[in-house]
Amino acid sequence: LFSIFSGLVGSKTLTRATMQPHLEKLKELMMSKNVAADISEKLCESVAVKLDGKVLGTFEGLASTIKTTLSDALVQILSPKRRIDILRDVFEAKRAARPYVMAFCGVNGVGKSTNLAKICFWLIENNVRVLIAACDTFRAGAVEQLRTHTKHLNALHPPEKHDGRQMVQLYEKGYGKDAAGIAMEAIHYAQEARIDVVLVDTAGRMQDNEPLMRALAKLIVVNEPDLVLFVGEALVGNEAVDQLVKFNQALADNSTTENPHLIDGIVLTKFDTIDDKVGAAISMSYITGQPIVFVGTGQTYSDLRNLDAKAVISTLMK
Amino acid sequence: MVLADLGKKITSALRSLSNATVINEDVLNSMLKEVCAALLEADVNVRMVSTLRTNVRSVIDFENMAAGLNKRRIIQSAVFKELMKLVDPGVPAYQPVKGKHNVIMFVGLQGSGKTTTCTKLAYHYMKRGWKTCLVCADTFRAGAYDQLKQNATKARIPFYGSYTEIDPVVIAQEGVDMFKKEGFEIIIVDTSGRHKQEDSLFEEMLQVSNAVTPDEVIFVMDASIGQACEAQARAFKEKVDVGAVIITKLDGHAKGGGALSAVAATKSPIIFIGTGEHIDDFEVFKVRPFISKLLGMGDIDGIIEK
Ligand SMILES: Nc1nc2c(ncn2[C@@H]2O[C@H](COP(=O)(O)OP(=O)(O)OP(=O)(O)O)[C@@H](O)[C@H]2O)c(=O)[nH]1
Ligand SMILES: Nc1nc2c(ncn2[C@@H]2O[C@H](COP(=O)(O)OP(=O)(O)OP(=O)(O)O)[C@@H](O)[C@H]2O)c(=O)[nH]1
Ligand SMILES: [Mg+2]
Ligand SMILES: [Mg+2]
Repeated sequence: LFSIFSGLVGSKTLTRATMQPHLEKLKELMMSKNVAADISEKLCESVAVKLDGKVLGTFEGLASTIKTTLSDALVQILSPKRRIDILRDVFEAKRAARPYVMAFCGVNGVGKSTNLAKICFWLIENNVRVLIAACDTFRAGAVEQLRTHTKHLNALHPPEKHDGRQMVQLYEKGYGKDAAGIAMEAIHYAQEARIDVVLVDTAGRMQDNEPLMRALAKLIVVNEPDLVLFVGEALVGNEAVDQLVKFNQALADNSTTENPHLIDGIVLTKFDTIDDKVGAAISMSYITGQPIVFVGTGQTYSDLRNLDAKAVISTLMK
Repeated sequence: MVLADLGKKITSALRSLSNATVINEDVLNSMLKEVCAALLEADVNVRMVSTLRTNVRSVIDFENMAAGLNKRRIIQSAVFKELMKLVDPGVPAYQPVKGKHNVIMFVGLQGSGKTTTCTKLAYHYMKRGWKTCLVCADTFRAGAYDQLKQNATKARIPFYGSYTEIDPVVIAQEGVDMFKKEGFEIIIVDTSGRHKQEDSLFEEMLQVSNAVTPDEVIFVMDASIGQACEAQARAFKEKVDVGAVIITKLDGHAKGGGALSAVAATKSPIIFIGTGEHIDDFEVFKVRPFISKLLGMGDIDGIIEK
């Protein structure tokens, strides 16, 4: 019994050496939950720096102190420095008699078009009228995919429910055309038809594909959307880092202004497919410093949530 | 390209063995640390990496090892063997038979690249003179049939699907029966994306599989996937008889290590890789040449002791 006590009482100075085994374990824990390796490493290092040389209080355990410090760091990462209030901004734009424009970008197959449709549903439920701009003019079936969503959404919210107004329309020019140009026409159309919001769907692209990245940057520069959302799937591993760094880089490199318009927020999709491997949320927030604005939790229109940072962190630390 | 960074890192870690004057526990540990870090950065499953570390360590007993044994060689060959295990399940994939119906069913997570890859595979066989066709059994995703139709039309591959039928089992069955009657050799069935957490979707996959009794089920995996891959891959394998893996989107920066866990979990070989969105961005995958190229080692059969 005595030996158990002696481990607990008496104050102790924390050193890197004593912390090391605990930090190694936490790093491995984070990686096993799909936090990028590099970021797991950096987070543990930040904990080491913070605690190195600190004196532990009489009843503070070493392991629990390290864990709490890491948790706090994670809370910091997931707490947005800036709140994005889309509905408020939509009404502000409306007052200024212009449409509010959101652009969706990301790599292939992550869920851009589907989550655009979910966000459209959410806007309609809030009595906001939407124009979907079909700016993926490359992938087979991309236009028909959006047309189908438009049809379904209008069926769910027929004009009878909204003072005779059609709540969502599709702006499309088929395949093979210049995406930036179509987005621009769509925004003009929305302005004239007094539609509140334009949702711009773009083609998926690999972050290393320079011509495609340049085309995306051009679309953003030319059309100055109010909100640039990066859509990333919760399934992605270490690649999350490279995706976000290079999307931002492309936006910065191709901008002509001093303050280039970078990614404003993240849509984290397929959150229903990962069980406790929630690490991508950390990786993406860490890299961009931007908020996760929506979390996609399924394939139907209502499968859209806000990020529950507490739940993510407790799942991660389990 | 594919896993190339990983290869470089592992080769350099192994070189540290050759450079060391004495091979002791420290040298082994630091080499293993480097190898494992490289694997983790490439998204290889954390548990698999830790098994690899244990297995390599256990081949060598520094205390009781007879003098004169080549430690370097023993360690190197142990690392190779473990890497081989990651990529090579040791079973061959199904080989389609000429003049017969070969039904191939595609399954996988949402957005992994099934529909795109279906057409690529069909085109691959068509170019080689097989009578090839496509069946769209995805009635869930908006625009799924249009996607397959546009791809197939462009490649001049016959296809079957429906805008009105909502039961994928019915479409799969009808399509496959029709093409069988018409004497097609390669009949590829595309299905909806799904995940293990949703039972009804998995049940549907089983029903489609029971209806068309495929000769081969191909699991399609995105190269950028992280730690969630293994559990998903295992669940697919438990539900339907996955026999091969295709890794897509390797034209990106992803090292594809996460998708490698699909090999272990499904005990199925990688047969093709996708390297772009276009129909011929598609390569046959051969395990052994791949590993030897990956490690820049020439012929590995000479290195690995049988
Ligand atoms: N389980 C699950 N599936 C999702 C979610 N979001 C999207 N998906 C599915 O992911 C697949 C791909 O979605 P899309 O919206 O077509 O993806 P995309 O990013 O627009 O794809 P590209 O335009 O081809 O690059 C579809 O099968 C969607 O139903 C989600 O939150 N959960
Ligand atoms: N860059 C690149 N993109 C790919 C590759 N394979 C597929 N894609 C893209 O990935 C996205 C998703 O591909 P799909 O074929 O629709 O995926 P899916 O698995 O059929 O999706 P669901 O049916 O919704 O589950 C599309 O944008 C494809 O063009 C590849 O090898 N490289
Ligand atoms: Mg899309
Ligand atoms: Mg598909």
